[in-house]
Amino acid sequence: MSGDDRTVPSAMHLKASSAAARYSMGFLVTAIYAFLLAPVLIIVFTSFNPTNANTFPPTGFSLRWYGTFLETSGFTDAFRFSLWLGAIAAVGATVIGFLSAYAIVRFLGRRREAGQSLALLPVMIPHILISISLLLALTIVPFPELGGLIVGHIIICLPFTIAGITASLEGVDEQLELAAMTLGASRLRTLWEVVIPLIAPGLLSALIFAFIVSFGDVYIALFLSGPGRTTLPIEIFSYMQWESTPVVAAITTVQILMIVALGLVVERLVGLRKIMRV
Amino acid sequence: MRAGGGIFAAALFTPITVLYLSFLLAPIGFFLVMSVFRYSPMELYIPAVTADNFMRLLGEEHYRNIIFRTLKIAALTAFFSLLLGYPLAYILARTRSIWRGVLMFLVIAPLMTGVIVRTYGWIVLLGSEGTVNVTLIWLGLIDRPIKILETEVAVLVALVHILMPYMVFPLFSSLASQDPDVERAAATLGAGRWRIFFEVTLPLSRAGILMGSALVFTLTAGAVVTPALLGGTKVQMLGQTIYDLVLSTLNWPFASAIAFVLVLCQFSIIFLYFKGGRRRVG
Repeated sequence: MSGDDRTVPSAMHLKASSAAARYSMGFLVTAIYAFLLAPVLIIVFTSFNPTNANTFPPTGFSLRWYGTFLETSGFTDAFRFSLWLGAIAAVGATVIGFLSAYAIVRFLGRRREAGQSLALLPVMIPHILISISLLLALTIVPFPELGGLIVGHIIICLPFTIAGITASLEGVDEQLELAAMTLGASRLRTLWEVVIPLIAPGLLSALIFAFIVSFGDVYIALFLSGPGRTTLPIEIFSYMQWESTPVVAAITTVQILMIVALGLVVERLVGLRKIMRV
Repeated sequence: MRAGGGIFAAALFTPITVLYLSFLLAPIGFFLVMSVFRYSPMELYIPAVTADNFMRLLGEEHYRNIIFRTLKIAALTAFFSLLLGYPLAYILARTRSIWRGVLMFLVIAPLMTGVIVRTYGWIVLLGSEGTVNVTLIWLGLIDRPIKILETEVAVLVALVHILMPYMVFPLFSSLASQDPDVERAAATLGAGRWRIFFEVTLPLSRAGILMGSALVFTLTAGAVVTPALLGGTKVQMLGQTIYDLVLSTLNWPFASAIAFVLVLCQFSIIFLYFKGGRRRVG
């Protein structure tokens, strides 16, 4: 699907200039990747810094900041809470996303594009707005704030689970489902015994990616966190407003390694591009 | 598949409909309506229609400056994201290299780590003992560390870094969906590389440019964490102002009026999105 760059140069000087263009393009793209990756890589190096400052290059090698991380209950509690919240939000967003994606693919017919755009709504709204509005709703409707946080995370994860599962469902032959139903299976049994096994990698990817989105979120939690329900990004945010030591580098290094490993699993299963819709 | 599917389809759509209506659209609608309500320190708001919030927002110089600064930084962020994102998207869309998957992963990977992680990365890079200052001193360009944090430049650089992937994806989609024969035809007719780019490739990627720019613009306008940590109190933007109003001053109606400005940006994005026509490839 990628373009073929045979641009039919008719003269020798065009060939020379195209080689130069290729080199300068290569240099430019390398520089852009350096810009994209440097801030993330620098964190990993800083986390092994023995001194108190966020310096780079590091002045030695030490694991003291990892020790500090494990000894600070505020951080470990927040880490655990984020894992827990991510797991719940991921399951919720995957189940609801699967039901919606299946309905979009099989039942919407020509209105499918419109349905898909509506489902992707939360990605188009600034998350700060979603978060404030949920907080406001909680002041009016008696609903636990923890519930608000979970619902908010399910909402921001849904566009990704729906995009990923929709892409997987497109590879399922509708005839198989029709065959199952002709043989007497109910719609639910068909979903459970035919559709779900066929798109299992897609579902697992959706689950993992939803967890990634939830774990990295800061805007939903910005207004809906509180005592006993502080997510890791919010804990780091409040800590950094007052001080900034490499302990943050140690925590975020753990986070980066976990997220990249999970991302690689998704990449292997279905490809991240399907979920990001690019 | 259609027969008897009506009820089943309705059942499948129920959870998402309930979720979006009652926890997304209704609360946002109510929050925005609040922008015309009167502020009351005791009851959060009094449902009496007033234009006070908007008058204050546009009338006080302090807030006018914040709006102006936010729009400026948002526009600059979108511009630089486009400038850096276009070559990247172009290479990703045109390359036949086996590294293509890896290159794509490297664009998505930083995005997955979350806003806080990348913002912290910039604190390390731009701090007084950070990499940038150390390098500049080592090169002999400066004698003592220059102050980069708590400036608009720091906020801008970090926002470009954080939001650039949102520019690359729509650009990539529209570049990858172009028919390669069109460029080839232009070449056969004698157009040079640059002319092909400016007269064929660039105009054909208009939808991606619009989508990416509008998306980055809106996301910048709503940013809170990055400006707060890298700009401090010196680079106050709309997002932080809303944050402070809601959590410290509890002035919901005024916060709502500011959010209204954000939503205006949002409407333009949706407008551009559908007007620009979207094309996607799987």
